[in-house]
Amino acid sequence: MNIRSVGIIGAGTVGQGIVQTAAAHGLDVVYKELNPEAVEHSRRAIEQALDREIERWAITASEKKACLSRIRGTHTYDPITQCDIVIEALQDAWEKKSVVFKDLDLFMPDDRVLVTNTSTLSVSELGRLTKRSDRVIGMHFLSPVPKRPLVEIVRGFNTSDETFGVARDFAEALGKTAITVFEYPGYVTTRLILPLINEAMHVVMEGVSSPEDVDQAMKLGYDFPIGPLEMADRMGLDEVLRWLDHLRQEIHEAKFRPCPLLRRLVHAGHCGVKTGKGIFSYTAEGERIRETGGVKS
Amino acid sequence: MKVLVLNCGSSSVKFQLIETSLEAIEKNADRLLARGGVEKIGAAAAIVTFEVPGRDIHRETPEILEHREAIACVVRLLTDSEIGVVKDKGEIEAVGHRVVHGGEKFATSTIITDEVAAKIKECIELAPLHNPANIRGYIISHQFFSDVPHCAVFDTAFHQTMPEHAYLYAIPRVLHRSLGVRRYGFHGTSHRYVARQVERIAGRPLAEIRVITAHLGNGCSITAIAGGKSVDTSMGFTPLEGLIMGTRSGDIDAAAVLHVIGKQELRLSEANAMLNKHSGLLGISGRSNDMRELTKAALEENDRAAALAIEMFSYRLRKYIGAYAAAMGGVDHLAFTGGIGENSALVREKACQGLEFMGLKFDPERNADAGAGGERVISTDDSPGMIHVIPTNEELVIARDTVRCIEGVI
Repeated sequence: MNIRSVGIIGAGTVGQGIVQTAAAHGLDVVYKELNPEAVEHSRRAIEQALDREIERWAITASEKKACLSRIRGTHTYDPITQCDIVIEALQDAWEKKSVVFKDLDLFMPDDRVLVTNTSTLSVSELGRLTKRSDRVIGMHFLSPVPKRPLVEIVRGFNTSDETFGVARDFAEALGKTAITVFEYPGYVTTRLILPLINEAMHVVMEGVSSPEDVDQAMKLGYDFPIGPLEMADRMGLDEVLRWLDHLRQEIHEAKFRPCPLLRRLVHAGHCGVKTGKGIFSYTAEGERIRETGGVKS
Repeated sequence: MKVLVLNCGSSSVKFQLIETSLEAIEKNADRLLARGGVEKIGAAAAIVTFEVPGRDIHRETPEILEHREAIACVVRLLTDSEIGVVKDKGEIEAVGHRVVHGGEKFATSTIITDEVAAKIKECIELAPLHNPANIRGYIISHQFFSDVPHCAVFDTAFHQTMPEHAYLYAIPRVLHRSLGVRRYGFHGTSHRYVARQVERIAGRPLAEIRVITAHLGNGCSITAIAGGKSVDTSMGFTPLEGLIMGTRSGDIDAAAVLHVIGKQELRLSEANAMLNKHSGLLGISGRSNDMRELTKAALEENDRAAALAIEMFSYRLRKYIGAYAAAMGGVDHLAFTGGIGENSALVREKACQGLEFMGLKFDPERNADAGAGGERVISTDDSPGMIHVIPTNEELVIARDTVRCIEGVI
């Protein structure tokens, strides 16, 4: 299938990343947010992200202009229904995604594939809410989407081979390398990275080492591009907590029990880069502030 | 023989239909029947142009999503009963393809067989942005023109005559053997064409004269031609090396790049874009990669950054002219071509300043003659060596090579 246009429901951090990536690869993109203010907010955020790309030499001013010309925001479903494929990229919460999937099934033409970007939820269950469970599939994009070359394609129980082919072609059109995952909570990436992050928090909480040293150890010792604690800050500590809770509930294994330090930080509103404070502190642009030191356990 | 010349890029197809033969080549009597292109393939509205000499340019903006549709569009226009130039596609007797990279496998143009196509594919690693579109152009056009010969003309082939001491980098030699890291050079078709024009103008065999050709367009390169062969050229493993270009840096200390990558924590793709898209005239002027705009800004607005960009561009060019004269033990002809080379009197003047010591006496008046177009000489009558402006014509070379390949004289 030749995908020329993509609809994206929800333009938060990950949604914006998918919008930017798709437009940068020449696709026409329509993103949907709740209201005109949110549409405008997301557009500004995408423009700022493109400006940062220019500052890092990754794109030119004219490429930014061309990219923005392919992006359109909306707060209704109408323009989304014209798209060749649609991706739901809301926060990973069942109550939100389930409502949207019912809407999409209602509004989208029958032959369109519906994609959910989820790292933990069940594609089969979302499919069950629709009359086209064979055309429902998961694509787990990792954040920051424009910079992560990987996407996990998650087949639900009823997902057809044809739908899988569409998702694989779409991933290729976005310049991503896809791995195939059969539905199981946490898939591959989330299931492997969460215990590491959680254990890093335990190391800090138990006073074994400082957050800086924990991250340094993994960067220098194991070639991690960023340490697990900064990674958690960038994912959003509230999201990390939500995923851990979900996996513990689904898999019933103690290794997914959230570290109390994580819970304490989230309760205090220290959710990482998005709030300016998490394990470490950050500027409004998301740059790590080195001088302030890390969290006290 | 009517030869369709195709130049397929990642989102464009440019074409010319040229009538030529061995006799026409000999008499310089080749005939352009039509030319045009399909740009912005994959966008909502592609831009199609079709031009027949002596007629108004025909334009369309249809939706063209892939190269197959683009080539179908070219065939449709060429055979159109009202604006076309052939009755049916059977009149087209050969297709010549521009292929950017032939690696070390191709030193001349060649008829494309399955084996040749496979070898061109092997060169994709060396030109990942260009060769895939070139080979796709061949595969698709072969479906439209399956009964006629197709010929590949390589940008790199002309420079395959460079001696080892010119094409090797002084890095561990194993990298040449294992990864093919060496200087290949580009714009070979243009340099070869201009050198042949110099030969004609000079009235002496190319093998007996020392020529420096400067192709100054979007990309810029300069070539030293001695004994009729390319003996050195400024572009290297990729088209980044050498002269300063619109948005490319040209020569730079590789360690400076490593320093920036380390300090700014750049990814390889970002460093690549920094050197290829943000540098050159644009990077220095902070204004434009267009020499016309920079010249206007420097002369009319006293824009110092624009003036500096032009100065640096011209200085690098002059340095290379001197180096290549030294490499050949002198120079008999210097020729400028390409958009900047043909149209920027300012760049030519700056680049030729002080070259009298090596026998190139520049004539400022001839150079500045805005009314002059086409081939012209811009050195003084008493200059030992000649300086030329020669419009390039790469498509003609491709058409001629196609005929020569078919006739077995390549």
